[in-house]
Amino acid sequence: MILERRKKYLQVALNSTLGEAREIIFQLPISERILIEAGTPLLKIYGTEAISEIRAMTSDSTYIIADNKCADLGAREVEMMATAGANAATCLGVAPIETIDSFIDECKKFKIDSMIDMMNIENPLMILRKLKKIPDVVILHRGVDESEFKKEKQIPYYQIKQIKGSYNNILISVAGGDTIREVQRAIFNEANIVVVWKNFYRPSTETASLAEEFLKNIK
Amino acid sequence: MISLLPPSEKIIIEAGTPFIKQYGVNGISSLKAWWSQKVGISSYIVADLKTMDRGGSEVRATAMAGASATTCLGLAPIETIDEFIKKCEASNIDSMIDMMNITFPFEILQKLKKLPNIVVLHRGVDENNNKSKKIPHEQINRIKGAYGNILISIAGGETIRDVTRTFFNNADIAVVWRSFYENPKETARLAEEFLKSAR
Repeated sequence: MILERRKKYLQVALNSTLGEAREIIFQLPISERILIEAGTPLLKIYGTEAISEIRAMTSDSTYIIADNKCADLGAREVEMMATAGANAATCLGVAPIETIDSFIDECKKFKIDSMIDMMNIENPLMILRKLKKIPDVVILHRGVDESEFKKEKQIPYYQIKQIKGSYNNILISVAGGDTIREVQRAIFNEANIVVVWKNFYRPSTETASLAEEFLKNIK
Repeated sequence: MISLLPPSEKIIIEAGTPFIKQYGVNGISSLKAWWSQKVGISSYIVADLKTMDRGGSEVRATAMAGASATTCLGLAPIETIDEFIKKCEASNIDSMIDMMNITFPFEILQKLKKLPNIVVLHRGVDENNNKSKKIPHEQINRIKGAYGNILISIAGGETIRDVTRTFFNNADIAVVWRSFYENPKETARLAEEFLKSAR
């Protein structure tokens, strides 16, 4: 695994256009604890060019996540993302188990981190138990559409401890938080990575300040 | 590949998920342009987006690139599928729900506010190596019996025999890809045989 177990990370998801991605990246403080995500919409619009472009905008040491949300053809997508310069790729937990297994294998082969996105899964442990090898990171999630149309669906914090209790090597990434309060709450609940995107969706002064607050307040 | 295919309205070109993740929406526009030129009319292109979240924004981007239909995973949150179908209608493109890894596609359809235009039944490619998993032909008539207006697309077949069986079982669209990938000429031949035998 490339990420370190004892560190806390903030993952900034870039979802709109490469132009806006550039503006956001240039506002961010430089730190190995700030991770950059090439979001699913960005990948589907620009293809793997999104990753190589983001790589060109950042330093070589910046950790880039390709949120490809693989559902089938696990091996092929990993190779594409790794070759384009990603340090991690994502696979859906709802994908066939065969796909997740081959995704994790291929990530190991290409020396990138494997992240399994548990969106729309009631009990992530059930999926983890079926796998041949465990992934490096598990992502817990409200979908964007879900949180917009159904306010009562909550980020499943209690699952963090459940998963860590059974698999203490897995890092937990919590996606779907939008404010510094939500970020703090996720870290307090033992998340290793917090994914933010709403405030970063459009360039704003909030962008840099949230990242700076994170670096200052969360060690 | 496109240059090898016989020009026909009955042949649909799919921009596959890896293709889209590699080339983005530009890939879709290129396929649209090449195939339309060959067929001589505005051709039908499916963007296999496999949407899992943000139903709305993905549909808009692919429709603008020239896709005639796009796909959403049946495993996505119901809110996403509903939003996806609504946005497909608004963008005037066909909505396809991909039922990969779902035992009872029925249960998903029942929860939706509106029905999709097309349901895709499927073995995943990675699953395919697991021979015990079969293309769920028996689902076709079950879905058509309950929802007369839905078209059924069957993915995962590789030979003309698979394709014939698919139509025999009442499917409207058969998706082939493996032979394309491994041997484009074989595929062109399959397409020609298909045009001759399926009417």
